[in-house]
Amino acid sequence: MIDVKGLKKTFGENEVLKGIDEHINKGEKVVVIGPSGSGKSTFLRCLNLMEIPTEGTILFEGSDITRADDRELNLMRRKMGMVFQHFNLFPHLTIKKNITLAPVKLGLMTQDEADKKALDLLERVGLPDKADSYPAMLSGGQKQRIAIARSLAMNPDVMLFDEPTSALDPEMVGEVLELMKQLAEDGMTMVVVTHEMGFAREVASRVMFMADGVIMEQNTPKEFFENPQNPRLREFLSKVL
Amino acid sequence: MGFVESFKQNFIEEDRWHYLVNGLGTTLLITLFAVLIGMVLGFIIAIIRFTHDKTGKMVIPNIICKVYLTVIRGTPVVVQLLIIYFVIFASVPISKIFVAIIAFGINSGAYVAEIVRSGIASIDDGQFEAGRSLGLNYRQTMTSIILPQAFKNVLPALANECIVLLKETSVSGYIAVQDLTKGGDIIRSQTYSAFMPLISVAIIYLVMVVVLTHFVTKLERRLRQSDRR
Ligand SMILES: Nc1ncnc2c1ncn2[C@@H]1O[C@H](COP(=O)(O)OP(=O)(O)O)[C@@H](O)[C@H]1O
Ligand SMILES: [Mg+2]
Repeated sequence: MIDVKGLKKTFGENEVLKGIDEHINKGEKVVVIGPSGSGKSTFLRCLNLMEIPTEGTILFEGSDITRADDRELNLMRRKMGMVFQHFNLFPHLTIKKNITLAPVKLGLMTQDEADKKALDLLERVGLPDKADSYPAMLSGGQKQRIAIARSLAMNPDVMLFDEPTSALDPEMVGEVLELMKQLAEDGMTMVVVTHEMGFAREVASRVMFMADGVIMEQNTPKEFFENPQNPRLREFLSKVL
Repeated sequence: MGFVESFKQNFIEEDRWHYLVNGLGTTLLITLFAVLIGMVLGFIIAIIRFTHDKTGKMVIPNIICKVYLTVIRGTPVVVQLLIIYFVIFASVPISKIFVAIIAFGINSGAYVAEIVRSGIASIDDGQFEAGRSLGLNYRQTMTSIILPQAFKNVLPALANECIVLLKETSVSGYIAVQDLTKGGDIIRSQTYSAFMPLISVAIIYLVMVVVLTHFVTKLERRLRQSDRR
């Protein structure tokens, strides 16, 4: 589904991604962990071209998106949902409008259809009574669940999560992870950058360790956590577990 | 001469109060249309400047905007008014009020542009990314996500710009437009008494500014409350 070849990304003098080759299959749940500043976000943001790769190709569903024009990029992004650390809900719109804005603007649904879909999604993320609230009235955990619903409204084929629980108070982490677990069970293809090792162990089909702009090690969660090979990974795990 | 007599002489005799009332009408007319032109110009320029900074596109329009901003903000409004009247429209038979509207509109546009640009810059980049990640294009993201928020943020500053403009139009007399200020001055030149007409003019401006400022303050409070929703 996503095929990354020789991906490099440089900011000025700073080479952040130093050559990544990776294949993500449909239905996989890939969890990326690693120290802060290692390039996890940059990697994720290259996948939907929020960052333009300096070198390399990214194939999404067969077409090379690094060569896509603006129009093709926008079409591709509809199929890739992205969930941000800081939610990035639209504060001037109601929750329902947050969810329906893109499908309606892009002509995929009428406002009525989108409204109906929004109510279904709100049901699914457990916030059916928030349709007419504004983002500022919600807790962090609720905001993130709405952000997930907003992405789902586009019927994406893949969901990218960049530390979706890092900005949350501890008591709200669980509700967001629970929702992500549900999504995983429903068969969504997911790439998740997180520090939640429990989630990685339980939900991931594959865990990657990123450091210094490369993927140093990856494995099934069981092997990854029980039998880490790379000394850097061992050191990292000893700190976070 | 007593107060009552002076009042009679300056305003009642020969219906001199007409100078003030008609002048006020002209002042409001110039301000209103100049504000509209200024807003349209200002938004267009702000969007061009932001688009250039964000995407690297629109190089030539951006240069034009920069020159415009530098020239307009670097020269006195009276000089701009005189140039537009005596140089640019020199050989065109055209209403002086129209010239004043154009001149103040062009002038105000430069200040509105910077206000709006700061408003756009104050919106978190994550808003832009959220829009693009959903598949919205640049224009759709700007019009339905960025600009509504930016507009709300700068509404008080824009309202203040209107108040500034209202006062600035008082130099319209330089091209012989009979605005409020000029009206008072005409009365002064006819009656040879300065106090009554000029103080009246000042009071009329003051009342308008105080009332408008009051509304802006109220508006600011309303907007702050809606942020806390
Ligand atoms: N837009 C940017 N401009 C310049 N440097 C950046 C930018 N984004 C990220 N970086 C740099 O890239 C490196 C990796 O960042 P990031 O991908 O956010 O790491 P992580 O998500 O693993 O913490 C950091 O050194 C960061 O300073
Ligand atoms: Mg990060």
